[in-house]
Amino acid sequence: MKVRAVATDLLLGLVPIALLVGLWQALVSFGYAPVALLPPPGQVFSRLLQQLLTDTFRQEIASTLLRLFAGFSIAVVLGVSVGVAAAVSPAISAVVRPIVGVLAPLPKVALYPALLLLVGFGHESKIMLVTADALFPILLSSYYGASTVEQKLIWSAMAAGTPPHQILFKVVLPAAAPSILTGCRIGLVISCIVVFLAEMITSTDGLGHVLVTAARTFQAVDMFVPLITISLLGLILNGLLEALRSYLLRGFLESDTRF
Amino acid sequence: MILSETLTKRAAPYLACLGLLLVWQCASLGLNNDSFPTAVEAIRAIPSILGDKESLINFAASLRRMAIGFGLAVVISIPLGLMMGRSRAVASFFNPLLMVIYPVPKAALMPIIMLWLGVGDIAKTLVIFLGVSLPVIYHSFEGAKAVEEKMLWSGAAMGLSAPQRLRRIVLPAALPEILTGCRTGLVLALITMITSEMIARQSGAGNILFNALDMGQYDTVFAMIIIIGAMGIGFDALFERMRARLVRWSEQQLDIPLSFS
Repeated sequence: MKVRAVATDLLLGLVPIALLVGLWQALVSFGYAPVALLPPPGQVFSRLLQQLLTDTFRQEIASTLLRLFAGFSIAVVLGVSVGVAAAVSPAISAVVRPIVGVLAPLPKVALYPALLLLVGFGHESKIMLVTADALFPILLSSYYGASTVEQKLIWSAMAAGTPPHQILFKVVLPAAAPSILTGCRIGLVISCIVVFLAEMITSTDGLGHVLVTAARTFQAVDMFVPLITISLLGLILNGLLEALRSYLLRGFLESDTRF
Repeated sequence: MILSETLTKRAAPYLACLGLLLVWQCASLGLNNDSFPTAVEAIRAIPSILGDKESLINFAASLRRMAIGFGLAVVISIPLGLMMGRSRAVASFFNPLLMVIYPVPKAALMPIIMLWLGVGDIAKTLVIFLGVSLPVIYHSFEGAKAVEEKMLWSGAAMGLSAPQRLRRIVLPAALPEILTGCRTGLVLALITMITSEMIARQSGAGNILFNALDMGQYDTVFAMIIIIGAMGIGFDALFERMRARLVRWSEQQLDIPLSFS
């Protein structure tokens, strides 16, 4: 029964995507859109497959992924440690909260020119931008996750003889894990978006650069390929994180959150 | 004692701003780099930007696009999100599509949209619309999902039809969550606005910023960063006030937005 419901959901969900691709194909085949502006989906997907087999395109993906992972991992380490520290200690919280309140709503893309001027056009500026953007959702959800840990859990751990310095790792972090992972998920999507944008602004390699080059030479087919690639990368990474989440959170009761 | 405590709380954001500017000033004095002006120099460049008629027109154009894109996105996304939250069929219909669109940088669609719609207002507004829609849909969806069944049952028992229930029960109950989404969307609208103008350099605040970067006017670059940053913080603070007033009855939620690009 459950399998069947999932299958129906899946089929239902494929409908709008199929419709979209159908509409796309129809626009081209009935001549509403010239092929130069809107290449047919078949052509785009075969071009994507063909590109995936070439070394140069795989290197572009690799450099994008390198920046994405570097920026995202720094954001996770910084965000979780600062967020949990702020939740545990009122002194740190008093310093961190106003600074985060000012920096979080700041459009980080506007900082990119400053980063370019300061650290140059290489990997560093892009990694720093990804970190700056992914950091705040992770930091904030770690903070809220850790500050809503039930006091009773900590008391019972202490009563059971857990030394104070182990409470952080044995009680607070596991209890805050669902919230932290939600933050990481948002941060991951942001990382995908930001790394692409940074590569579009200035870069010599990466998927964003592929798009810009194609746009300059009006190669509509090649413009769709990096966009579809980043969407697929996002889906795959999201799936991996989801698998990690369900592994780490086995035993937690959770309503299914999709999207 | 209590008075001084609220005073510190009020002053904290300003102190944080001041501290950040101070760090900047020290860093730039320490680095002594030509392309990294001090905070004071950057602040000094602000009046000349804001006094210039040309750049004011640019700002106005940016803000207009942002307002239209944001408004349209909110009007369309909230009902969609609420319906997704209340009906399993609608949710599973739209979920995969949204998941596919989610990791695509909306501003990266600019080059393609520009091919179809030109570099004008429509393309940029459309991109802002796309950028704002997703978080608003997501939060409306989450908000509507969490509405208590019992309230809906009582509504149905009292003879409310399904659309009436959506408007009179689900919408108010999900409002805190929806407004959280709108707050994220607002910051996002600003970000998308800047990026879209950076890609299609024709008018707007992003245009001034990146043209200054290309021409090596570093004072202007950093002054623009301050102005755009101040816009982000200002919009966010204004929206937060409005939100707090609208949902006074609900318990305080996240007081800092989970902004995302």
